[in-house]
Amino acid sequence: MSKANSEMRVIRGSHQPGRGRFFRWTLSVAAAVLLLLLPIFVTSPYRAHILVMILVYVIAASSLRTIGLSGQMSLGHAAFMGIGAYTSAVIAKNLGWSPWICIPLGGISAMLVGIGVGIPFARLRAIYFSMVSLFFGIGMLAVNSVCERWTGGYSGLVRIPALFVGSRILYYYFFLFVASASLSVLYRFEVSRIGITWKAIAQSHVVASSVGVSETRFRILALAIGCFFVGIAGAGYAHYRVVLSPDTFNLLASIYLLMYVLVVGIGSFVGPIIGAAVLTVIPEISTPLKQYSPYVFAGVLAVVLFLMPTGIAGMAGQMRLWFARRSGGGW
Amino acid sequence: MEMAAQMTINALSLSALYVLVALGFALLLNVMNTLNFAHGAIYMVGGYICCELSDALGLNQWVSLAASALGVGLFGLFLEKYCFRPFYGDISRIVVMSVIIILVLETTANVTMGTDEKRIPSFVEGIIRAGGMSVTADRMVTILVSTLLVIGLSWFIRRSRLGQQMMAVAQEPKGATLQGISTNRVSAFACVLGCGLAAVAGSLMGAILVLSPFMGDYMLVKAIQLVILSGIGSLAGILVSGLIIGALDAVLPVVTSGAVTQTVGIGVIILLLLLRPRGLFGREV
Repeated sequence: MSKANSEMRVIRGSHQPGRGRFFRWTLSVAAAVLLLLLPIFVTSPYRAHILVMILVYVIAASSLRTIGLSGQMSLGHAAFMGIGAYTSAVIAKNLGWSPWICIPLGGISAMLVGIGVGIPFARLRAIYFSMVSLFFGIGMLAVNSVCERWTGGYSGLVRIPALFVGSRILYYYFFLFVASASLSVLYRFEVSRIGITWKAIAQSHVVASSVGVSETRFRILALAIGCFFVGIAGAGYAHYRVVLSPDTFNLLASIYLLMYVLVVGIGSFVGPIIGAAVLTVIPEISTPLKQYSPYVFAGVLAVVLFLMPTGIAGMAGQMRLWFARRSGGGW
Repeated sequence: MEMAAQMTINALSLSALYVLVALGFALLLNVMNTLNFAHGAIYMVGGYICCELSDALGLNQWVSLAASALGVGLFGLFLEKYCFRPFYGDISRIVVMSVIIILVLETTANVTMGTDEKRIPSFVEGIIRAGGMSVTADRMVTILVSTLLVIGLSWFIRRSRLGQQMMAVAQEPKGATLQGISTNRVSAFACVLGCGLAAVAGSLMGAILVLSPFMGDYMLVKAIQLVILSGIGSLAGILVSGLIIGALDAVLPVVTSGAVTQTVGIGVIILLLLLRPRGLFGREV
């Protein structure tokens, strides 16, 4: 935990004058154009599917990072995704409501559960919070099989109403919109006073409370925001896949979400985006290896872990420093 | 009455296995401050090594049990030195590291052994009948072996030099280092012990139930449950929490459905964590 804090300490300011700002604008416009035009180059439905999954996991991992900003490492985040997914799917299926109404409802229900568990959980720190969130995740899977009548239990839920009929490209644009909206909201939170307070709490909850910051309240807020967006991602996923299996939201899924955040480094906002994109693609491109493909995934993780001790973002920072020294000026 | 006795034996043999795995997990957590999520996978590997030695090479089961514990213990030495030591005290990187270990071990087991479930030949053949109940001898062997191991371990930690050094490192790593204790050596030994215990548990599980490449996932959750229930820092408490969890697991399915059992077990843990975060016997961290 202490390492994560020290990484948070070096987060750079968002306002840079002159060339840096111009560079940043060009980069964002280029990225936006590329993302909007991407479906032109993607012809096979399978690749479109991978793109959609990347966007889903980008939202989920970024929201997990928001919770992490307040110094808490959740090991049950996939369960909140599951709550959003199942709520939305069950309502749409049984009450016949439109998925467009159910998806926000999924987000809200995940948020309410997040607040509900946040009130008792938020006073636990560090490893105890990780543990209790882990058991919350496992408990939710058990609840899922207790409520078998509605959720389908272990065998999963089928025939969920779809959001669009036909092309996957429409889903791509839908999730692109949702992801950019969620990321901008999360970014606004991070650079606002609230975000700074979260980082302060993560660095030292003693100092933060001594200047009158309510640690519990801000941690619950982080949990509520994180759970809302992951619930939206889960609900969208439910109406995209049309079937749900509880295995999608188990402990391993939570650990994977955590890895998407950690691989690049928790200090960087783009971290979960790159992490989710790279780590979602790797298993897909290594499918020709069949049952050997997890080795590739483990290998990539090992390379990141051993060769880039500060994560990929730390590596990028070091390279920038190196370039700056060579050319005698910054970007 | 017979049913109660039968249930007690089943609960005890389950508890014994949970305790063996959880003790290893707790050793690593206490001494090295490392959350080793790969402990379940290590337990699975121990079971498969024992199975292969006795099945393919035709060794005596007891010899292969010992060989499996020794081999996995050596693997633990490697793990501690090259996988955990570089990231000491950094929980996020330890999590990534244990995911790597899980992936490598489970994939290897899956590729070499296939997904079919395997069984280890019984350690002691036969069924013990007493009163109206009948218990396979293997369950009694499991209880016996685990009890002996737990007694041996507690003797070792309390009486031997290395064991006491281990306690010292668990209590206060800096202070222990100042006293001239080699933290690295102690952690390496803790890791060897933990992995060895997990291997024994895996082998015994292979004899009373079956082996599968993903059986570690379930055991890992159980081990964490035990450690949390007893509290971080307490090894003796694991025995008590092992009995509690084992009893819940053996008795509740008779009364209600399996899913409800799981919910109740986890509900108990969450409630305990909220009321008393340091567990039943743990120290404040």
